Amino acid sequence: MTEIGFVDVAISLSLVAVAFVVSRFWKVPVQKEMSLGVVRAFVQLVAVGYALEKIFAIDQIWLIALVMLVMLAVGAREASVRTKKLSGAFWLAFSSMTTGSVLTLAIMLATGLFELKAVIIIPLIGMLVSNSMNAATHTINRLYENLTDNRLAVETALALGKNWREASQRFRRQAATAGMVSIFNFMKTVGIVALPGAMTGMILAGKDPLEAALFQLIIGYMLLSAVTLTVVMVLELTVRRFFTPHDQFRPPVRL
Amino acid sequence: MTEGHTTLSLSHLTRAITANGTRRVLVDDISYSFACGTVYSVVGPSGAGKSSLLRLINRLDEPDSGEVRYNDRDYRELSPQELRRHIGYLFQTPYLFPGTVSENLRFAEASLTDSQIAGLLDQVGLEPGVASADVDTLSGGEKQRIAMARLLATQPSVILLDEPTSSLDPTSTRGIEKLIKRIAEERCLVAIMVTHEPEQAVRLGGETLLLVKGRLVEHGPSEQVLNDPQSDEGRRYKGMELS
Ligand SMILES: Nc1ncnc2c1ncn2[C@@H]1O[C@H](COP(=O)(O)OP(=O)(O)OP(=O)(O)O)[C@@H](O)[C@H]1O
Ligand SMILES: [Mg+2]
Repeated sequence: MTEIGFVDVAISLSLVAVAFVVSRFWKVPVQKEMSLGVVRAFVQLVAVGYALEKIFAIDQIWLIALVMLVMLAVGAREASVRTKKLSGAFWLAFSSMTTGSVLTLAIMLATGLFELKAVIIIPLIGMLVSNSMNAATHTINRLYENLTDNRLAVETALALGKNWREASQRFRRQAATAGMVSIFNFMKTVGIVALPGAMTGMILAGKDPLEAALFQLIIGYMLLSAVTLTVVMVLELTVRRFFTPHDQFRPPVRL
Repeated sequence: MTEGHTTLSLSHLTRAITANGTRRVLVDDISYSFACGTVYSVVGPSGAGKSSLLRLINRLDEPDSGEVRYNDRDYRELSPQELRRHIGYLFQTPYLFPGTVSENLRFAEASLTDSQIAGLLDQVGLEPGVASADVDTLSGGEKQRIAMARLLATQPSVILLDEPTSSLDPTSTRGIEKLIKRIAEERCLVAIMVTHEPEQAVRLGGETLLLVKGRLVEHGPSEQVLNDPQSDEGRRYKGMELS
């Protein structure tokens, strides 16, 4: 595999055609979704491919920052969309995800692990932001549900003279676990159940498997750091919204 | 601070909420002074604001205006944590944390010894063996009594009890009533207890406060407020309870 072109993509479509015919024959009603998925993936990936080509050619810091900002904004929207009742959820997710991914990225750059080049940094940013988004989504949702569903438990602890931090501890811990479960699972099964994307890509591109594995390890640690920072921030920012300065429980409701 | 003699007073305590654009006054300009050693019963129709009033007194909720004075000081001078350990609150539906009974008691007061736990359980009429029981295995009445024991664990000087005998049988109810009367007298506590049973208020003696729509419409010796009310609202409440 050297130069890949649209012709190769057309050839790979023959696989889809087989799947299409088979599913149709056995009356599995997925043809509509399949066609939609094929077109959608094509448009999105080709667009991204062209955009990245341009971005890599320009290779300017401001452009990298802009791309990161857009990714963070889209990710934060996705993370906050389910907790409609929590006012300011977008900013909460946005600032947490930004902290988690920017801080991690800054450390990677400062230690010289990665060069500040668009072609290297942008795929990293993609992984950082999507993992932070995933973590933020689950943490916010779980904490919001936990606290609103357990008002009596929280207030009982407050009434016994506990502060808001103690009264919410159990629920913060559960929310943190919910936010980090996918990165933990990833680290548990990595290399055994599946080779992760970055590593697969490197091996396909002809790199030495050990080198690919070490690279993947660095990525894994980087994601763990970003996810942890994001989760901690989300918890801190969210839980405070549920309490007044006098340790009174007052769930935030968007009116 | 006067040593040993707890005082508690409310002045013009008011709390309103705005829901769906309409303002509702839950606690309406209530002023009252409580003395230690007496049991105060709070009665009134459902939704009168009895629970809301208790929540204000231990500052689980913030009044819009008015003041609570505890031992002749504005209660805001104490940290909420400290205040709530002095002014204990038993919820209308008691909640126990997952775990054992002794874990629940130690959550309130970490330094409790096994014999202190046995003592607290004994006060609420439970065997010492209950200490190691998982709370999921307890009956509703047992849970209510554990919550009561947990409340006493912090040695509060004011106890706010929201229908503490609602899920108890008559024998346990009498036991808790005696306990409340006894500790109020012996330790000179201010005991404020919400009840929907006028007979219970009469049995407890002390004073009764009648709340209607957030207002304190009548107060005085329990016997009088409940059997021979002076106000129109008091007579209406008595009629309601009889029918
Ligand atoms: N946070 C809140 N939001 C909206 N309404 C509330 C809130 N808290 C209390 N209320 C309302 O305030 C009113 C007074 O409630 P409260 O629980 O104090 O009454 P109560 O006298 O204790 O009644 P009950 O005898 O049924 O326990 C009720 O109508 C209740 O629905
Ligand atoms: Mg009530």
